[in-house]
Amino acid sequence: MEDKRGELKKIIMDTKTLPTLPGVINKLNALSNNDKASVQEMAKIVSSDQVLSARILRLANSPSYGFYRVSTISNAMILLGVNVVKSLALSSSIFAIMEKNSVGLWEHSLGVGVAANLLARKLELPECEEIATAALLHDIGKVLVSLKCSEAEQEVLKLVRDRQIYMIEAERDIIDTDHAEIGGWLSKSWFLPEKLSEPISFHHDVIKSDNHRIKTSVVHIADVLIKASGFGNSGDSFVPVIQKVAWDTLKLNEQILAELVAEIEDKLVEVKNFSLEMMGE
Amino acid sequence: MQQIPIMLAKAGMVLAKDVFRGGVPAGMPICGKDTVLTDALITRLDQMDVQTVYVDGHPVWEEGGQSIEEMLQALDKRFEKCREEPLNSMLYDIYKAHLTKSMGGEGGR
Ligand SMILES: [Fe+2]
Ligand SMILES: [Fe+2]
Repeated sequence: MEDKRGELKKIIMDTKTLPTLPGVINKLNALSNNDKASVQEMAKIVSSDQVLSARILRLANSPSYGFYRVSTISNAMILLGVNVVKSLALSSSIFAIMEKNSVGLWEHSLGVGVAANLLARKLELPECEEIATAALLHDIGKVLVSLKCSEAEQEVLKLVRDRQIYMIEAERDIIDTDHAEIGGWLSKSWFLPEKLSEPISFHHDVIKSDNHRIKTSVVHIADVLIKASGFGNSGDSFVPVIQKVAWDTLKLNEQILAELVAEIEDKLVEVKNFSLEMMGE
Repeated sequence: MQQIPIMLAKAGMVLAKDVFRGGVPAGMPICGKDTVLTDALITRLDQMDVQTVYVDGHPVWEEGGQSIEEMLQALDKRFEKCREEPLNSMLYDIYKAHLTKSMGGEGGR
């Protein structure tokens, strides 16, 4: 069994065919380690990417950021903050990879991103944008399986249908690993920070998350909520069990959960339209 | 809450979100959440290039839209494997209440 997993890891991580992050992300990441990097410098890099620029301007002009009309990238970056722009750059490139692959999974990921963001804000957690980004990326391993081992993917989906089991169980059965672990491998090869890679690796097994358990818990709960809502298509048709450790870590209760569900469902009405709009672009 | 084209808006429906001139948030706000629509107001919104509005409840039946019974059935199916778990069962009840309210709410006549 160990062989199969090792072999698969080799296939999946073969750098010649691994999706790469666009140059703009690497440039932004390089800047982040340099405190002197000015907003102007970042704005210049971002402006070189038209799609990204358009998304940033749209976000900056969205109602949640007030009613100002923002028309330049550097003003947008001042308004949104450098971290939001970086998250957006990352998610925008992930979107490009996912879009070609599966609309259902993209919608699921977008929904989990929205839910995680709302939950993180509600609990007044630090680094809400990072949490939302981790949530957006949480199932990236599924994209990789689909890109690199489409036969195995078909077998997994068939097993899920035939035995009515959770996808992660079918994955472990057929490929001897799962999309969370694979997502973890990919995060390492992309040199993503641990606060993103841990939630990706452990969103189905929160107890294994040691250093960023709060973020991992948020992503886990958000994933459950979006599956409960039936929004998008993750490949799973059943709601997973809420992990007690995540619930306790976030000190959730019935009232918070009920308020959150109402907020998420309201937001998803908008997201649905946004997602359709993105598809049409 | 449901997003509907202004053509399908009817007097008596209640706005679930603020409305802006031209329908874009960067536009000037025209009227606020919780406003009860009148025929005159709908005509004015139309003239101001507002194409869609968000209203309370779920007053308009959409092509391919599900009835509340179908929605609850789908919900049951999704929770089939985890209803025994106390936390999941709590979440199920919350979703059931939410669906019932949002489909049958004030606008659901
Ligand atoms: Fe997952
Ligand atoms: Fe997921």
